[in-house]
Amino acid sequence: MTTETPDLSISRVFDAPRALVYRAFTDPEQVAAWWGPTGSVRPLDEMEFDVRPGGYQRFVEVFPDDPSIRAEVHIDLADVAEGRVLGGVMRVRGRLPGGFEAFETRLRFEFYDEPDGRTRLEVRQWLPAHVSGATEEGWRQSFAELDAHLATMAVS
Amino acid sequence: MNWVTATDQLSLVFAALADPTRRAILAELTVGDATVTQLTAPLPISMPAVSRHLKVLEGAALISRSREGKWQRSHLEAAALWEAAVWIERFRGFWDSSFDRLDAHLATLQQEQENR
Repeated sequence: MTTETPDLSISRVFDAPRALVYRAFTDPEQVAAWWGPTGSVRPLDEMEFDVRPGGYQRFVEVFPDDPSIRAEVHIDLADVAEGRVLGGVMRVRGRLPGGFEAFETRLRFEFYDEPDGRTRLEVRQWLPAHVSGATEEGWRQSFAELDAHLATMAVS
Repeated sequence: MNWVTATDQLSLVFAALADPTRRAILAELTVGDATVTQLTAPLPISMPAVSRHLKVLEGAALISRSREGKWQRSHLEAAALWEAAVWIERFRGFWDSSFDRLDAHLATLQQEQENR
């Protein structure tokens, strides 16, 4: 086992040129089309983007099927290299789906050219320093999922 | 199970893991149980400083300590670390489903460009 701070690395290749994939992360209308938990929508009039080093991306995730859920996403951008890098700190607050509590996590996207006009996206997300504002119900849900997850792991 | 306690516990784990010295100590403990003297040897800090870090790790239940005669040995408790790992792994599902939608979105965009 490893004792590095647990973090997340995802590598994914998209069948689209790098400029287009980068724009999918930096243009509000594009982000509205795909980012977020299943079942969520991102109202365009609540999106505020200022993509540059020291800038930000702000939007809200709402769930038509559950109006009680409303997640406010604030990304403070530290590293921005046009077409290549987006990095910063993502803060998510509000009433979140799936038992998640408000959190803050370091996040970095890197975009690389691949053959045949495709693009490889490298995502890295760091473990937050703390979790705040937990509610009993939220944790009941997360731990139910955790139990189910652990049960799966035990079987495999 | 007390849910509020569980919450505090996970926060303690995250706070404990946020420090590089404590991560180094945990890495050392994957090799085997160790005394504070053994843990201090490879580190550029004093034994009392290491003891303070051990106290934080113990508070987060990332290690346990047992006394063997004169020596107190620290033992890695992997379960707490595992819980933190599960927290972050849940994001894999989040990104995977988002990127599936992005895939479809990019395909539509390129289709529209071709049709122009």
